Amino acid sequence: MTEQLNARAWLLKVNELMDSAAAQKKLASKSIKIMNVCGGHERSISMAGIRNTLHPQIELIPGPGCPVCICPEEDIYQAIQLALHEDIILVAFGDMLRVPVNVAKKSIRTLQDARASGADIRPIASPLEARQIALDNPQKQVVFFAAGFETTTAPTAGLIAEGIPDNLLFLLSGRLTWPAVSMLLESGSPGFDALVAPGHVATIMGADEWQFVISQHHLPTAVAGFTTESLLAAFYSVIRQKLDDRLFLDNCYPQLVTNEGNLSAQKQLTKTMDIVDANWRGIGIIPGSGFELKTIYKQHNARIIFPDYAKKARRHIGEMPAGCDCASVVLGKKYPNQCKLYGTVCTPKEPIGPRMVSDEGACRIWWTHGMRDRS
Amino acid sequence: MCLGIPMKILAIDQFMARCEAKGIERDVSLFMLQDEPVEVGDYVVVHVGYAIQKMSEAEAIIAWQVYDEMLSLDEQTQVE
Repeated sequence: MTEQLNARAWLLKVNELMDSAAAQKKLASKSIKIMNVCGGHERSISMAGIRNTLHPQIELIPGPGCPVCICPEEDIYQAIQLALHEDIILVAFGDMLRVPVNVAKKSIRTLQDARASGADIRPIASPLEARQIALDNPQKQVVFFAAGFETTTAPTAGLIAEGIPDNLLFLLSGRLTWPAVSMLLESGSPGFDALVAPGHVATIMGADEWQFVISQHHLPTAVAGFTTESLLAAFYSVIRQKLDDRLFLDNCYPQLVTNEGNLSAQKQLTKTMDIVDANWRGIGIIPGSGFELKTIYKQHNARIIFPDYAKKARRHIGEMPAGCDCASVVLGKKYPNQCKLYGTVCTPKEPIGPRMVSDEGACRIWWTHGMRDRS
Repeated sequence: MCLGIPMKILAIDQFMARCEAKGIERDVSLFMLQDEPVEVGDYVVVHVGYAIQKMSEAEAIIAWQVYDEMLSLDEQTQVE
């Protein structure tokens, strides 16, 4: 779908398609539910107010599109304990510093709390900064707590493949997005009729990775970029595919996305990391959904070097804070404003659930863009 | 976390490039673009300090507009 139209023209096209006699006959007053799995998509949708302008029979569902939100609680706990009890420097992407773990009131709940109590924790914006901090502090071990989806994990792989100082370690919480979608689809009640696949994940991994949604699950799918035009083109495509019963993987972000993706990035991922079964906060173990350092890098693996802080038992403590519906929101089973904490005690200033912490979290995005009504 | 910002390459030194976007300069790694030759003057999408793909100037300008809007909204809500 490479047709060049502006946002208004795309919106008209989408809504006219929905109003067509063929569409109304086929949908029989039901809605079509389109899931996105990218926080960037959700931000663009909310920012442009797309939900308010789309045909009322189109539902846009924010899915598991936030690596901060699904980062396992036990990994954050491990990072906090490492920073508090070992003579190390812990570095992490800034978003991770505010995500709370489930501990007793007045305990240290976040990396930010740990930092305030004296731990050497530094927010970074790039793996390159982790390397620089390690080079600048050769007498100390530097642990990079690296959470992220494929787009963010690939640069970490690039850093390792290029060569890293001996004192740079990794607590890796990298995740692959497609296995989460696969798990939803195989659950038997995915809760959506079509998928908009993430543009920058596909830039790295290739659009073809999403082919399975069509071939195995027979759901319309399109890869989208982050402009209103690209997103509306993707919505138009998946609705058209559904109405015509003619499914194909549509690339609505051809400016960056190719079928095969960034081969150099993929090579570096394969060289440095294995794909393992991995826990997602609020969801559980998803087979083949995590990145872990290859054994040849074991001297750089913080889980191996500091095994005392890996508390698997924490997995049973309760994945999300009490009363928090983040798990259902991550899975697209509830909208943010259906959680009873949303906007009452959980706000971006004082977040309780991880989806209110991250810029990519649906709860924070909805609140930030003025969706204050509770459902 | 997966957003990429378009930047223009000003200078290249092996795998590192000096890049610029809207007056802000950064050092960017080209390590993940080894299969795709890049030159000074090219535009790349940068994610967490790494160039992940080339893009055209026209696309870069459109993407900047989208991100400008996102960032200004984020700033407005920081105080809330």
